[in-house]
Amino acid sequence: MTKKYLGQRMTRTEDPRLLTGQALFVDDVEIPGMLYAAFLRSDYAHALIRSIDVSAAQNRPGVVAVYTAQDLGDFWQHGPPLVPAPHSVEGVVFHSRTQVPLAKDKVRYVGEAVAVVFAESRYIAEDALEEIAVDYEPLETVADLERALEAGAPLVHDDLDSNMASHLVQRKGDYAAAREKADLVIKRRIVIDRGAAGAMENRGIVAHWDEKSQHLTMWDTTQAPIPVRNGLAKILGLSESQVRVIAPFVGGGFGPKIMMFLAEEVLVPWGAIQLNRPIKWIEDRRENFFATTQERGQTHDAEIALTRDGRILGVSHEFLHDTGAYNPYGLTIPLNTQSHSMSAYDVANYYSDMKVVFTNKMITTPVRGAGRPQGIFLMERLLDIAAKELGKDPIEIRKRNYIPPDAFPYNHEIIDQAFAPLVFDSGNYRPALEKAAAMIGYEKFVKEEQPRLRAEGQHVGIGIVSFVETTGVGPYEGSRVTVEASGKISVATGVGTQGQGHFTSFAQIVADQLGVSPRDVRLVTGDTSEFHWGTGTFASRGSVVAANAIHAAAKSVRAKILRLASKALETPEEELELDDGQVRVADIPRQSISLGELAVLANPLRGAVEPGTEPGLEATAYYGPQYGATASGSHAMIIKVDPETMMVEIKRYVAVEDCGTMLNPLIVEGQVHGGVALGIGNSYYEQLIYDDNGQLLNASLADYLIPSATEVPRVEVGHEETRSPLNELGSKGAGEAGAIPVPALFAQALEDALADYNVEILEAPMSPNKLFELLHGKEKEQ
Amino acid sequence: MKIEGEYVFNGPREEVWKLVRDPEVLATALPGTQSLEQVGENEYEGAMNVRIGPVAGAFSGRIVVSNEVAPESCTLSVEGRGKPGFAKGTGDVHLLDQGDGTTLMKYEGEMQIGGRLASVGQRLIDTASKSMIRQGLDALNEALEARVSAKATGQEEIEYEAPSEAEFAAAVARDMAGEMLSSARARIILIVLAIAIVIVIAAVVLTNSGGG
Repeated sequence: MTKKYLGQRMTRTEDPRLLTGQALFVDDVEIPGMLYAAFLRSDYAHALIRSIDVSAAQNRPGVVAVYTAQDLGDFWQHGPPLVPAPHSVEGVVFHSRTQVPLAKDKVRYVGEAVAVVFAESRYIAEDALEEIAVDYEPLETVADLERALEAGAPLVHDDLDSNMASHLVQRKGDYAAAREKADLVIKRRIVIDRGAAGAMENRGIVAHWDEKSQHLTMWDTTQAPIPVRNGLAKILGLSESQVRVIAPFVGGGFGPKIMMFLAEEVLVPWGAIQLNRPIKWIEDRRENFFATTQERGQTHDAEIALTRDGRILGVSHEFLHDTGAYNPYGLTIPLNTQSHSMSAYDVANYYSDMKVVFTNKMITTPVRGAGRPQGIFLMERLLDIAAKELGKDPIEIRKRNYIPPDAFPYNHEIIDQAFAPLVFDSGNYRPALEKAAAMIGYEKFVKEEQPRLRAEGQHVGIGIVSFVETTGVGPYEGSRVTVEASGKISVATGVGTQGQGHFTSFAQIVADQLGVSPRDVRLVTGDTSEFHWGTGTFASRGSVVAANAIHAAAKSVRAKILRLASKALETPEEELELDDGQVRVADIPRQSISLGELAVLANPLRGAVEPGTEPGLEATAYYGPQYGATASGSHAMIIKVDPETMMVEIKRYVAVEDCGTMLNPLIVEGQVHGGVALGIGNSYYEQLIYDDNGQLLNASLADYLIPSATEVPRVEVGHEETRSPLNELGSKGAGEAGAIPVPALFAQALEDALADYNVEILEAPMSPNKLFELLHGKEKEQ
Repeated sequence: MKIEGEYVFNGPREEVWKLVRDPEVLATALPGTQSLEQVGENEYEGAMNVRIGPVAGAFSGRIVVSNEVAPESCTLSVEGRGKPGFAKGTGDVHLLDQGDGTTLMKYEGEMQIGGRLASVGQRLIDTASKSMIRQGLDALNEALEARVSAKATGQEEIEYEAPSEAEFAAAVARDMAGEMLSSARARIILIVLAIAIVIVIAAVVLTNSGGG
């Protein structure tokens, strides 16, 4: 096999369709006779529902049906857990409380759905919402994590003794003993708050029940169409073969579109069956703030213990993780935080006490980064503070503590989000750090430029941090590769696509195996009628798990092609080569047969297929990694701060990524750019602000600031390639990496820019306001 | 959200007290008020249209007056709900006879706000509510002056002319623009929550109450 396309910077084949508005998104689906759904959502964060009067809404012309929890009968059930419960984990406390389709007796967060209207238009449906009278009895609210755990706090779930959803302690070595021996112990409180995923396309669903064929088709902005189909079939009492879920082009996933079985995803298809009418629901932007899950809220009381020369002896933290009103996503996020709190460093002693807390706020589920940015922020901040105390520079202290390249696979001796041992498959961290430092000109900036600019009165700072990212986790993905009679290749896989360039990078893999152009490879993703085994697009796993399944299927097809061509051309397989859609005899290029002809030979209209063989040039294969492939990297930035307005300007941004073998470096860089943009939001702009009563105070894009072109700099990307030994392609994920280190980097650079104020940044996101308060709470020391 | 302020009425304390306990007067003091009725000795129910920036809609609410020490002080509890959200709060109102024929009203309270009012109107609500309270009290003061002068001249009371809803909205917008433009200047002393009604008004305004 020649490596003609894999690893090339090919432009994305799907872009012309996307850029000219020709790609299908859920809202493009129009079906005659379609109804529109609108949901009534609670204004209260915590209240009993005394009664709901829907009579006026029901009587509005154009309203077809209005449902409350009382009307759902047996269909009213708690949603399925989205990940397995951690009951196999030793010593874990875990109370599963999953969400319900409509709140029945009480509402637990602002935005929880209490009724749904199906009407002839969205306008009518929304007008009808205003006519539904809900009699609430407001209850005391818990919004703050610490308060939620105090004795006597109002209970989010009355059947539990407290608001503690889960408790787990993880240990490696003996932190207390390590602390005794330490020359320096740094202790800090570190707080990370919530943000929104902020996908450009909000969520949407179209459900179509065909009564005659007894078949449900649902277009859904999901990242995981197959689990949605399987879950829906079960919930609706249908056979899986009666349900087809299609995730067409999706305008950004970022986690909250994985598969939620929140109100909309179950009630829209249910309503379509009840009413025998197609139904559409498209979330609007304001609704997105209340109806789509969020992430990141955690409070850490953390310690790091070191020797005088900067060697880490141990890390310890007790932290509270905000799961919101329900916990359908189990422990994935806080376990990811634990898995990244030792980051790239050889930490011999670790103690982590995690408490997951129910609050009267929106449910949290993974958002690009998924618990990892919190762990990285914690470790990098502690390391920076320690470096300052010890008089070391940030580069030196990191180099001193990296896991050495010959120590892989490296077992961190705790469990990861799959409850399996946290093992880093491979890594080489120092070259990425050195490359980032070289690209940004670290030494020159610190020695020459910064002193000069400071003398001019400018507040400029530099930052450099490292990170790891566990990617490409199981259980598995699959793919079917088929050579068609036209000679074109069709590839089907179960993962959905939300802009990752799958149509191009996956085609590159197949093209190399089968000797065709990637443009002759047609990929179908996210349609359960095309492929119905798999889990979905999340955890930076497409380029690892799906890619390797596609690679394996393509290899099988290649073997079939060679076997058949060997017969047809009467030449041994070793003497054949695949190129340009042909199989040729290597030495006699004129002696060849096209893939199309071979496909016809393999699927004859007359005669017999030999016993023990299968028709067609087709193969299905699966790939399931033993454990995840761990990517890594270092980011660096130069920032300028205006100490009057606290506005920042990012002068340079460098990201060096190591995601193993790159399928397409151009696409990897695009992923990094997007991740960094999200990370900048998480660092300085995007914070969901809740008041003590659980009210979200900035639920609009006027008040919730998503970084725009003026805040996002040009990102210079460098690459290192440390192959993963776990899979044949050697790839690791890159989807979330860009977002992960940014808050830590931002904090270090801000501190450096404001060195004369000697501030410590211990929270993310920061904001101009918060920085102003921090600065003016201190005496300028110079 | 905390609400507090002072307002000077040009009239004796007893008259001010009567005024604030008169739902009809209160209802006219705040344009947008559709109704305000006394439903019990110390309970009022009302309906009001509210607009704060992009948030608009009808509110209905209830005010309960307690700890009443006529004509000096009382506690107001307000609860209002409507399409734009809800508000809930309690506040204390004190009337002080200043000895010169004027009455100083002091008010202080805590308000919880929810729904669209909180999530979208947040930036505007502080200024808008202050403006609405001030205008409501100004209107009350005019009503008071009309009453006092009618009494003094022995004539029949002349109906004072309450501001229209449009005038009212324009004044709120002006106040909000002023707030944005000048950061340092001392603001007009806002008043407020006068009595229950004022509170009602405040509730309505701030939070909302009203609908009917």
